Amino acid sequence: MIGYVVRRVLATIPVMAVVALFVFSLLFIAPGDPAAVIAGDQATPEQVERIRQSLGLDRPFLVQFSDWVWRLLHADLGRSIFTNLPVTTMIAQRIEPTMSLTLITLVLSVTIAVPIGVLAAWKAGTLIDRAIMGFAVFGFSVPVFVIGYLLAYVFALELEWLPVQGYTPISQGVLPWLENLILPSIALGCVYIALIARITRAAMLEVLQQDYIRTARAKGLAQTPILFIHALKNASVPIVTVIGIGIALLIGGAVVTESVFAIPGLGRLTVDAILRRDYPVIQGIVLLFSFVYVLVNLGVDLVYTLIDPRIRY
Amino acid sequence: MDRRTFLKATAGAGAFAASGLAAPAIAQGAKVLRFVPQANLANFDPIWTTQYVVRNASVLVWDTLYGFDENLKPQRQMVEAEETSSDGLTWTFKLRAGLKFHDGEPVRAKDVVASLTRWCARDTMGLMIKALQQELVAPDDRTVKWVLKKPFPKMLLALAKNSTPMAFIMPERIAKTDPFKQIDDYVGSGPMKFVKGEWVPGAKAVFEKFADYKPRDEKASWLAGGKNMLVDRIEWVVMPDPATAAAALQNGEVDWWENPIADLVPLLKKNRNIAVDIADPLGNIGAFRMNHLFPPFNDVKVRRAVLMALDQEEYMRALVGDDNSLWKPLPGYFTPGTPLYTEEGGEILKGKRDIAAAKKLLAESSYKGEPVTCVVAQDQPITKAQGDVTAELLKRLGMNVDFVATDWGTVGQRRALKSPPGQGGWGMFHTWHAGADCLNPAVYIAIRATGDGAWFGWPNVPSVEKEVDAWFDAKNLDEEKAAISRLNKAALDNVVYAPTGFFLSYQAWRKNVSGIVKGPIPFPWGVSKA
Repeated sequence: MIGYVVRRVLATIPVMAVVALFVFSLLFIAPGDPAAVIAGDQATPEQVERIRQSLGLDRPFLVQFSDWVWRLLHADLGRSIFTNLPVTTMIAQRIEPTMSLTLITLVLSVTIAVPIGVLAAWKAGTLIDRAIMGFAVFGFSVPVFVIGYLLAYVFALELEWLPVQGYTPISQGVLPWLENLILPSIALGCVYIALIARITRAAMLEVLQQDYIRTARAKGLAQTPILFIHALKNASVPIVTVIGIGIALLIGGAVVTESVFAIPGLGRLTVDAILRRDYPVIQGIVLLFSFVYVLVNLGVDLVYTLIDPRIRY
Repeated sequence: MDRRTFLKATAGAGAFAASGLAAPAIAQGAKVLRFVPQANLANFDPIWTTQYVVRNASVLVWDTLYGFDENLKPQRQMVEAEETSSDGLTWTFKLRAGLKFHDGEPVRAKDVVASLTRWCARDTMGLMIKALQQELVAPDDRTVKWVLKKPFPKMLLALAKNSTPMAFIMPERIAKTDPFKQIDDYVGSGPMKFVKGEWVPGAKAVFEKFADYKPRDEKASWLAGGKNMLVDRIEWVVMPDPATAAAALQNGEVDWWENPIADLVPLLKKNRNIAVDIADPLGNIGAFRMNHLFPPFNDVKVRRAVLMALDQEEYMRALVGDDNSLWKPLPGYFTPGTPLYTEEGGEILKGKRDIAAAKKLLAESSYKGEPVTCVVAQDQPITKAQGDVTAELLKRLGMNVDFVATDWGTVGQRRALKSPPGQGGWGMFHTWHAGADCLNPAVYIAIRATGDGAWFGWPNVPSVEKEVDAWFDAKNLDEEKAAISRLNKAALDNVVYAPTGFFLSYQAWRKNVSGIVKGPIPFPWGVSKA
């Protein structure tokens, strides 16, 4: 097992190298010029060129790439073209809101989605099942920003229960922290809840038709242990897989959610950096997201061994 | 790893993450003004970049020798008195006594010399002065002497102007930074200090009142007069989504929003706690520029045919909707309501549009149906709306439109290319100019027609440049006006660029905030919060 983990962690190195090369190349060939953005409308072409030179953007691809890789090997992601701040500082400034939003959404989603998925499977074909699946279709279909605006209108503007926007660090108190995250987490969680609930239902439906479930029922076992101990554990592999895959959905959704609720997270930083062509920041964030995604996949693979003893690495 | 170790490790990670967003220490009872700026403060060097949002933040932190008042007249700010030699070649400026930087150091003449030197390398007027400069020295701590080879009558205008980059005064150690490199020390002598530790680019910027600031005794008027701060702290809260900003203003989470979009203004006006008014009376001029280097727009007949067909109301409606108080037709190039405004030569843009005559002129031109590469940034509402109208206009004229929908960053790069439109270049692109940048030729790079050295589109119209020179040499306002009238006509006759109209925008604030004035910058001095 430990050998497997070490092998998987080592395998992330070539993956990250490919990601790095891909991201750098893509940004190099993409149109747009940060120097022109910095110089502004009134600048002459000569001034734009001077800025480009001072940023080192006039150098050949290989020189820029090798310079970037060399710094990367020294744990230096470089400095933002626009803010002149180290990319690591900018990521550190933004990581807490995104981590908080993602974690709360994850907890909220799993807590809601798994039970309702189980319930839908148990009550398959009934009104409850249809209502839950109807909600799932709604969650899939309605864009995050629409849900966000609706929630802000009802709970912030009309009822005045929660703030419209912003983020309070957890260091300033758990309650204010939660207050700022409730609406964005619900907005972001809708699609995730829908996804997990549907997969849970499908997996459970298959398991509930197995002979051992029939046997458990025949033995007179109560419904709750049948569903949550015997059936759910055996249906968990696809559910855990989809939770893992869904992390990517959450990261993508965080970009929109953070804009709608003005949360200063990595999602907004990414959009701002892309619009301005702030290459070092884009590269840093994409690398970070890729690394997180690889780690999540590793975590999911390891969880398989806990829920299904037949899986061995 | 056991459970306790795991918990310790995760707690440590949480603490690390939290350290990035340290809690601000705000004094009890401090008055905090929460302001939503027009854009993100992504950097903070007003010489290195010319973005308006950077300038707007910079007026809090850095002071200037002179400042425009609301009549667009340069007034003394850091300067106590100035003197010009009889031949007009030597300017001597005496600084006010007791001026201090935020680090406690006095403002000295050598700081001014270094700051003006850096500014001169980046500003259009600064470059003109630099070309005439014999020496710029500091004979003593409060005196700056600028000796020129030729008189430059617009000196005070250059030092007071609010178009970017403004001539901000920084400590010498900061001002010695290469003008093409960004500063990372934000010490100024303005009424507010920049709190670097709380700056989260893209989200928040914080300014605190500078206790040692010495405001002038005169009443504040735009960038002139006493910059008295009536709040202790200003927090800039960046909100990329206008609907969120509107909701936050209604909810009282922010106090002042610089640029609500026209669609949301009716909603804000309905709220009894919110005041809405015009933000900047100097407004903006919508524009599209045609590439004078290549067909079809290297032919003045094609450019004039487009101008003949152009209906400014269509453009303005696309920008501001039905609100008639937000726009005016602009048969000229200079900012309406300012001393040099003229409509000379503007008949081509007035009255009912005559498409048939425009088509006839186009038929007489060299245009042979080649594609017109119309590059339009979709991520900027102003350029997107104008681009859509232009595409229809060109089609009505029977032109073959190659509509390139892209983003502003790409437009910024592509418009600098002098290659033919079919080889990566362009035929036309859309933009807009702040009215403050269209007051006179000194600050108006878009009107210049020097060919290769001109702004994108590279118009080459000697008759325009002749009148620019005449304006610079003008001895009084009447002479200036005469030169600008001729210039306006020459520029319209040759279609230096196409003005699509003059438009204004709103600002909105909570009614417990008072003292907000209309101006080209959201001036925070004199603003108080109950």
